[in-house]
Amino acid sequence: MKTDLINKPTRRHFMQAGVASSAALLSSTALAQETTLIPSRGPGDTIDGSVTYASRSPFVKDGKMRGSANGLSGGGITPLQNSQGMVTPSGLHFEVHHSGVPEIDPSEHKLLIHGLVGDDKIFTMEDLMRFPSVSHFHFLECAGNGMGEWMGPRGQTVQQTHGLTSCSQWTGVSLKVLLNELGVRGDAKWLLAEGDDGARMTRSIPMWKAMDDAYLAYAQNGEFLRPEQGFPLRLIVPGFEGNMNVKWIRRLEVGDKPWWTHHEVTEYADPRPDDKIRAYSFVMEARSVITSPSAGMKLNGPGFYEISGLGWSGAGTVSKVEVSTDGGNTWQNANLQAPVLPKCHTRFTMPWNWDGKETTIMSRTTDDTGYTQPTYDQMYKLQGPIGMMHNNAIQNWHIAQDGEITNVRS
Amino acid sequence: MSVHKITLIAALGATLAFGTLYASAQEKYGFGRSVDADEVARYDGDIHTDGTGLPAGSGNVALGAEIFEIQCALCHGENLEGVRAMGAGSMHEGRRDIELLPYATSLFDFIRRAMPLTDPGTLSNDEAYGLVAFLLNETGVVDDANLTLDAASLAAIKMPNRPNFIIDPASRFTAEDLKDN
Repeated sequence: MKTDLINKPTRRHFMQAGVASSAALLSSTALAQETTLIPSRGPGDTIDGSVTYASRSPFVKDGKMRGSANGLSGGGITPLQNSQGMVTPSGLHFEVHHSGVPEIDPSEHKLLIHGLVGDDKIFTMEDLMRFPSVSHFHFLECAGNGMGEWMGPRGQTVQQTHGLTSCSQWTGVSLKVLLNELGVRGDAKWLLAEGDDGARMTRSIPMWKAMDDAYLAYAQNGEFLRPEQGFPLRLIVPGFEGNMNVKWIRRLEVGDKPWWTHHEVTEYADPRPDDKIRAYSFVMEARSVITSPSAGMKLNGPGFYEISGLGWSGAGTVSKVEVSTDGGNTWQNANLQAPVLPKCHTRFTMPWNWDGKETTIMSRTTDDTGYTQPTYDQMYKLQGPIGMMHNNAIQNWHIAQDGEITNVRS
Repeated sequence: MSVHKITLIAALGATLAFGTLYASAQEKYGFGRSVDADEVARYDGDIHTDGTGLPAGSGNVALGAEIFEIQCALCHGENLEGVRAMGAGSMHEGRRDIELLPYATSLFDFIRRAMPLTDPGTLSNDEAYGLVAFLLNETGVVDDANLTLDAASLAAIKMPNRPNFIIDPASRFTAEDLKDN
């Protein structure tokens, strides 16, 4: 193990300082293998702590799963199986793009707000950051999270079944403050939000939502947005489908009707069993999933396991998460880890002693509007067999006698 | 469903409450720079469903067919059936999506600003009109091989799927939120 360390750049750094030789490094390595009393930092390893921006340990390998056929549209899926607490690290936050990731110089970026307002105005990033700031923890979930599961269990891990949801603390300026600054006309009902990506991604946002809790974020988890998260500016529409949280936002037009843009009418509307199409299904309804133990893992014999997972609701606050360890016959309330916030991931846990017998485990959440996460049977009645978007059905994990866990429907 | 009804009533109440906020006076910060209509026009390229924003120019099915062959067929397929190797999007962003659209303005808007994928925003207005004419004829929405489109004729097209778009109460939106749309 320690011999790996002498090949690291830190050794070169150390030798340039003229303090040690490679012979000394090797002898300390031999000692390290014989005793655990030697500290894990060997001679020559970094001691000055002068890293400008810290990276993960090289021993931590989990990352986003990437998928893109043409390099322009596509994205990356969050590894929920290793998630802890409620916040997703910015570098593991899921990403979906429809026309690539632009590289934008914030000193040149501008936001135009115009239309049914008293005054059309252009704001620089400097202008926007002078307004009073707000910070909120909110989840973002792609409307297509779990669409591959609609026809039957396919994902081999919770990353593949549910990895298009993530949670961050976002900081920015309230849309209500900006709109009131310009003066909104009485006939204003909708906004068009436009991004500065290759597709000029556009979505119609209802005015009541803009005036309720939407904001323009320039920071995520205490630092400026990452490029793939919309640097330097993105819209956050709490609880609404991910696609509406337009990244690299450059323009907001205030109007009296929605625009029915390509993405909102084709990909993000919901076909129903009666051949009608449900429009404006913006709210990501209450959902939960057990992240550990989950498919792809294996239980190491009977005994104690902590069941841990995430619950969230785009309509409000998680009021409870129930867990079943007997295939849905009986349910118990899980512990909710503080803080429990509206339109935010909530971490739930439940102690469990596995008796070593084959079983199926699952979770369901209820939010403070009284809505309870549905089963697939209930979902099919609402959306029909091809209504793959907005899938918030209960997820089952099957545990075999040998401890192997797989994704099953019932 | 009863839960949804309760939510709808609550949402309607909230909407009315926010309605009063629109007009609320706020101390002005004075940040930002006021712009005139010319400057707005340099940013604003979207098309409204009533045709507002459609540019001058025109194009017919023959021009559209020519452009489609050069710029589009590689990803969308000769018969608008998609090309699996070009990604999941290309499989439905053809015949299926055109048949789904409630307004032809959405098709022009998207093609002109976002296509072709590798070089968005480079089609001329005539080419975009021609492509919409070609696609509407190809999918049978308008059965006319001589179709020529410009701002007025494109805005007048009635897409057959328009009546199928409904506002489902389960979407948690109120009739008030969505009327006249």
